[in-house]
Amino acid sequence: MRFIFNLTRREIRSSWQRLLFFFVCIALGVGAVVALRSLIQNLTGAVGTDARALMTADIDVNSTSDFTPTDLSAIESAVKASGIVDGRNETINTSAMARPTDPANPNVKFVELKGIEPPFPLVGQFDLGDGKPFDFSLLEKHGALVAKILLEDLGVKVGDKIKLGDGEFQIRGSFDQEPGGTSGFRIGARVFIEKKAFDEAGITRNTSRVRRHILYRTTDNPTELVKQLREALKGTTVGIASYREQQENLGEQFARTENYLALTGLLILVLGGVGVWNVARAFVEQKRKTVAVLKCLGAGGNKIITVYLLQILTLGFAGSVVGVVFAQTTLWVVRWQFVNDLPEKMTYGVKPSIALQGIVLGVMISLLFSALPLLQVRNIKPKLLLRDENNANIRRLDPAKWIFGAMSLAGLLGLAVWQAGSVKIGAFFLIGLGVTSAVLYLAAMLLTWLLRKIRTRRIFALSQAINSLYRPGNQTRIILLAVGLGAFVVLAVQSMQTNLVREFDSTRNARLPSLFFIDIQRSQINELEQMIEERVGEKAETTPTVRARIAFVNGEGFDLGQREVRQQQGQIGREFAVTYRPNLDANESVVAGQFWGDAYDDEPQVSVEEDMAKTLNVSAGDSITFDISGRKITARVANIRKIDLRNTRTAFVFVFRPGTLEAAPQSYAATVLTRVSATDRQRLQRDALAKFPNVQIFDVADIVAAVQKLVNNFVLAISFVGGFVILSGILILIGSVALTKSQRVYENAILKTLGARRPTLAAILIVEYGLLGLLAGLIGTVFATALSYVVSRFLLEISWTFDPILTVEGVVITTILVMLVGAAASFDVLFRKPLGTLRSQ
Amino acid sequence: MIALKDITKTVRSGTEDLTILSDVSLEIPGGQFVALTGASGSGKSTLLGLIAGLDAPSSGTIIVDGDDITSMDEDGLARVRSEKIGFIFQSFHLIPSLTAYENILIPLEIAGAGDAESRAARLLDDVDLTDRGHHYPAELSGGEQQRVAIARAFANHPKILLADEPTGNLDSKNGLHIFKLMTDLHRQNNVTLVLVTHDAALASQAQRQVELRDGRIVDDAPAG
Repeated sequence: MRFIFNLTRREIRSSWQRLLFFFVCIALGVGAVVALRSLIQNLTGAVGTDARALMTADIDVNSTSDFTPTDLSAIESAVKASGIVDGRNETINTSAMARPTDPANPNVKFVELKGIEPPFPLVGQFDLGDGKPFDFSLLEKHGALVAKILLEDLGVKVGDKIKLGDGEFQIRGSFDQEPGGTSGFRIGARVFIEKKAFDEAGITRNTSRVRRHILYRTTDNPTELVKQLREALKGTTVGIASYREQQENLGEQFARTENYLALTGLLILVLGGVGVWNVARAFVEQKRKTVAVLKCLGAGGNKIITVYLLQILTLGFAGSVVGVVFAQTTLWVVRWQFVNDLPEKMTYGVKPSIALQGIVLGVMISLLFSALPLLQVRNIKPKLLLRDENNANIRRLDPAKWIFGAMSLAGLLGLAVWQAGSVKIGAFFLIGLGVTSAVLYLAAMLLTWLLRKIRTRRIFALSQAINSLYRPGNQTRIILLAVGLGAFVVLAVQSMQTNLVREFDSTRNARLPSLFFIDIQRSQINELEQMIEERVGEKAETTPTVRARIAFVNGEGFDLGQREVRQQQGQIGREFAVTYRPNLDANESVVAGQFWGDAYDDEPQVSVEEDMAKTLNVSAGDSITFDISGRKITARVANIRKIDLRNTRTAFVFVFRPGTLEAAPQSYAATVLTRVSATDRQRLQRDALAKFPNVQIFDVADIVAAVQKLVNNFVLAISFVGGFVILSGILILIGSVALTKSQRVYENAILKTLGARRPTLAAILIVEYGLLGLLAGLIGTVFATALSYVVSRFLLEISWTFDPILTVEGVVITTILVMLVGAAASFDVLFRKPLGTLRSQ
Repeated sequence: MIALKDITKTVRSGTEDLTILSDVSLEIPGGQFVALTGASGSGKSTLLGLIAGLDAPSSGTIIVDGDDITSMDEDGLARVRSEKIGFIFQSFHLIPSLTAYENILIPLEIAGAGDAESRAARLLDDVDLTDRGHHYPAELSGGEQQRVAIARAFANHPKILLADEPTGNLDSKNGLHIFKLMTDLHRQNNVTLVLVTHDAALASQAQRQVELRDGRIVDDAPAG
């Protein structure tokens, strides 16, 4: 043992510089895993799983229509019987248009309005701009509290008055953080007013976007009470949620995201592992003579393997620790760069448990990827000290290597399963990685084969450079695989971003409206149409909309006791805006059943959008019962419709055949296609609101901007990961250069002896790595283009356009990068004196 | 001490089999100093390597100090080398990542010697390199490196010392110094010394000269 520990210590002392890349590969991989996991966990901690604060209560009973006296008495008796409720309030939420009362200020903004009553909040707190504690009296007598951003958007200050519906409200304060606030996707800024002011201000309660909540705070676990409430309200449209269920759902979503990100981190670590594998091979190559000497002096093969294994594990551990430091630095950089885009409560520290996980992963990857190369130590014979034969047989595959290979693979699967939190996803990850690598490797083989076929003898540097790519033991295909994979990830993301951004570019979609008007009363429609036509010069397209909920599907209600059904409640239990018309819209097509003709039929019929049909599991001929203003209407599913969202003006999930809904309470929506300048748009919004305060107007530019911000953040996150992958590829490249360096030194010495001058040797070097970069760039761009096409067309279902500039850029940048890195890592070779090199061989 | 019986060694060279040693039989009694001579490619170094168990013969048996090493596995051979054999190479073959002192220490640590450090220091002193102990091989001259190699070869008190042209890479002054050191240690410790050399002057100082030609022993006679 003393021999093992002493030699390990001495070897680390002298070889650590040679293993520096090993160290960096592990540090980078562990850094990626720890940084990604920490980011998502810290984000979860900041926004997320505190469902109680998000709900501002323990139980939320909600409805989009007013609670009926029967509902209310059922709720109250269940609550009373439970004996655990110690606080109650009601809130009402909707969207509204806010505008300053000052006629000189032309601004109009869409806001999310919340009417509250004391005691509010039951859970959570306001973080007011002036630092004072929240006092309900701020809202009394037409007071309003607004999100800070609204002050800027509307060009108003605390003390000014704004108009919401017909009512005027004085801004009594602003807040940075509100109870129930999240940093999620939101189009309008939040405004709080007194609940009773809602009706006084004439803000319509009669739209699908108004939700009424009765909130309860409990002194004990609310699960049983929730169960009782669900039982009592069975068959009604009232929704019940407990913070515990929300917490469970949110927790699951975050855990899933975290595991996916962890897998991405693992991908980078595995690429680092490929680097480790290369370095370990180079290391064994360099240590052949030392191993032979040790064997000659009487050391057994296993003892020597143990020494190098310990050395690798020590460096793997040290690399992992540096990786954790690197992750912490990354978090600080994130704070420095993105502190304004991230939640205020976000922390930027690496948790000890994640650090520990990263270190275990780093050490395991070091072990798994260096085990096979280290096994070659067994095949090194001491006789090479007498006669140095070529060492082809040390790479020979024998049963022990097969067994260790299988064990390494099983270990890798174990790590993937651990990181993914699922056997299935872990296995898919490994298989996916294997298949992608195999495809890229085959492409690399094909390209190098082609290159050999077309090589010319006319240009010395070029033919020598191509020869170098086939040098025995050269890592051409591995480098192509690794760098190609990095280029592939980055370019695929870039290409998808280009297509996604184009999709949201409203100027390209001729049928995407520039303005949406909704909640227009029947009595207002003609006058509003006229006003729009005068201002814009276009007759608005108007659509009648009726509010409906699904009560039964084929006569069966939804069982909200079931978790899966409850999770879909947002999709199927919500109130839908439905319409009726005799024809299909231009962007619609029937995928099953038949659209109705002109012949009279008194059976109610409905056309269902394709995805909703899948969610509800209905096909043509089934029946759906809708609850429309308390009346149940059963309609036969006449057909299933596909909506082309690329070319949409409106998108209705349910369209009725004319003849059923005409008499139901309805409002109208109007859309305008003409693009008008921001000032004209603002003026039209303001004048329309002055005349029809109940109408809500969506400015599509605002929505597009919000979505684009989301897409950009997403792209930034993926590019960040792609950058790590590229960096891993470059490390593998440098490792590979190191692996064949001694051979290159020897070849250069011979070429110099034969009369080759330094510029010629430099040209060979640059052309060699240029070719390598070109091939890697080609592989990366071809597969990135293919992936971006498949994802865009079949997953995101958006149009896809080939981007020649991005493709050329991808190839050129990869070529230059590989050329620079490869040439820089080998450049010193040019300056070695040939005699010394030839003597030492 | 050493007995070789009908040793043949064939290696694959490209597509052909190349016979390096053919039916070699040789017995070397304990404490004898034998010089193996012959032209380049005659099979001297291969024979020395076979005696050390660095390679296995294609046929025949080799007995070293009573052990049939032809039937041993790699680890068994390593143990025999550790306990019984010291080897000195023409190109020294010191471990470049270890200091001179540590290179001497290594075989002692492999054998698990209790007084490894003090013995290594003594051996370093025996070859007059106490002041150079903390230097790495690359920082030592050829003669100094070979002195370290000799100290390393004698570390575990081997019964047999095998030397493959130990002075081949040294100038004549250093060569003589090394030769003297080796033969002194051979005499003092009564070690069997097998020396492969081209140098007739050195070979003539051995007790016995064995000459090889094309893989066969063509002459086996007392030296001088």
